[in-house]
Amino acid sequence: MTVATSRKAALEVRGLEAGYGKIQVLWGIDLDVAEGEFVAIIGANGAGKTTLLRTLTGLIPARAGTVTALGRSLRGLSAARVVKGGVGHVPEGRQLFPLMTVRENIDSGADYLPDARARAPRNRAFVYDLFPRLKERERQLAGTLSGGERQMVAIGRALMSDPRLLLVDEPSLGLSPALSQSVFAALKQINADGVTVVLVEQNVQQSLLLADHAVVLETGEVKLRGTGAELLRHPRVREAYLSL
Amino acid sequence: MDTTLLVQALVSGVLAAGLYALVSVGLALAIGVIGIVNFAHGEFFMVGAFLAYQLFVTFGIDPVWSLFIVAPALFALGGVIYTSTIRFVLKAPELNQMLLTFGIGIILQNLALLIWGGDPRTIAGISYRGIGYQIGGVSIGLVPLASFVISLVLVLGLYWMLSSTPLGRAMRAVAQNRTGAALVGLEVNRVYLVAFALSALLAGIGGVMIAVIQSPTPVVGFAFTLKAFAIVVVAGLGNVRGILFAALFVAVAESLVATMVPNGDTLRNAVFFAIIFAVLIRRSWRTV
Ligand SMILES: Nc1ncnc2c1ncn2[C@@H]1O[C@H](COP(=O)(O)OP(=O)(O)OP(=O)(O)O)[C@@H](O)[C@H]1O
Ligand SMILES: [Mg+2]
Repeated sequence: MTVATSRKAALEVRGLEAGYGKIQVLWGIDLDVAEGEFVAIIGANGAGKTTLLRTLTGLIPARAGTVTALGRSLRGLSAARVVKGGVGHVPEGRQLFPLMTVRENIDSGADYLPDARARAPRNRAFVYDLFPRLKERERQLAGTLSGGERQMVAIGRALMSDPRLLLVDEPSLGLSPALSQSVFAALKQINADGVTVVLVEQNVQQSLLLADHAVVLETGEVKLRGTGAELLRHPRVREAYLSL
Repeated sequence: MDTTLLVQALVSGVLAAGLYALVSVGLALAIGVIGIVNFAHGEFFMVGAFLAYQLFVTFGIDPVWSLFIVAPALFALGGVIYTSTIRFVLKAPELNQMLLTFGIGIILQNLALLIWGGDPRTIAGISYRGIGYQIGGVSIGLVPLASFVISLVLVLGLYWMLSSTPLGRAMRAVAQNRTGAALVGLEVNRVYLVAFALSALLAGIGGVMIAVIQSPTPVVGFAFTLKAFAIVVVAGLGNVRGILFAALFVAVAESLVATMVPNGDTLRNAVFFAIIFAVLIRRSWRTV
């Protein structure tokens, strides 16, 4: 991948390997994301996209390789430490607190991060602006929300942590086409505000249009890299992921 | 039937319920937050009792003051046991977890037997033990009354902590979604550690009180594990109010059977199993 040399790296991954028990999923991933960049990761079901994001935030340990995020090595850090260092993660499966209200779930993103807490009112306003529906349902328990509403809360919670690097795992899952569009637009806006975004998506067309760069993951390895526009034109991508 | 006897049994049951609730909320805390069914919970209670006994025998410290020594000591013991064993089995199958805590319980029990032997130990000559009040033929001892009040304050304090403090919110977050909690910046393992240590602390305080109320032996803990278990089963998880009512129900049932049934005293433990049995069967009917 061509990284603009003038820009600092927000994320630098070298030879990353990870898995679950005896199953190895990631086989030596290299990935460079410059500060302020928007990078998309695409790949079939089970390719290892979620595993990659989970390893980056320290939810599962790396077996080999290095990860440097925002100038800091993440080796051996707990997920909490990684998040405190400015990395936000909208996880697969949303991972909300079902017995807490929408408001409590959203605020929890800032509750344990002193810097983010200071900016909580501003960030909350941004989240409610993005998803007015959440404001209406502020007092509803997260466990009783619809799938799409839960997805909005998960995105809102990550935004509350005021991240400098945001990892997003399939945000459009379960959202209506119109709402997906506003989520993509919001991600683009957050990115324009200076946040580096790494987006995992099944909506390949959309994410390649948004992305500065993209990688294609297959069975735990990076098979293709390029700019969003390059990959949109790539025959293999068109055949396998865009069914063209 | 003699109504004074009946009222006396009810009052004794209510007073005993405080201590039962105290031990049960500790057990429920470990199950609810960490997901660990701690069969050694009653052993923390027993260790608290024997620490109070030893502090009295060796240093002449009154159990009222021992509370302030035993509480931090049991918090530390809980922390050490969590760090050295429990945290390694968090993702293990439940059966393995139960075997581990069962084993820890047996080790603690046998250590106590080695140190103190199997005979009941009495904290002798405390002036306030004999104090009691007579109300219309019903007697209320100062010690059971004080233990009821202390227990109630601690149980309500725990409720307040869980519902209204940052630590409580963190515990609820970790209990409801471990991954989500890690992703908002909570050190999940540290929250587990505090929850487990706090659970041991609550049991230890209960132990100090039982050392004054009864003359405990090193096997006193297991009976309380069972009682707490019955209460948590009746209450269901995750609500302190439910535990208070269940403790009341269970303790009063025990007291009534012990007083009103001929030879009822020998049936005390049977009462708990009967209640667990009845509740589980009733639940399974409801879900069919
Ligand atoms: N907890 C787990 N234990 C064992 N294997 C797992 C676990 N989670 C994922 N896997 C396996 O790891 C591989 C990669 O899974 P991963 O969730 O990273 O895929 P993905 O690219 O995110 O797929 P999707 O697009 O369906 O979300 C899959 O083969 C999956 O079965
Ligand atoms: Mg996935």
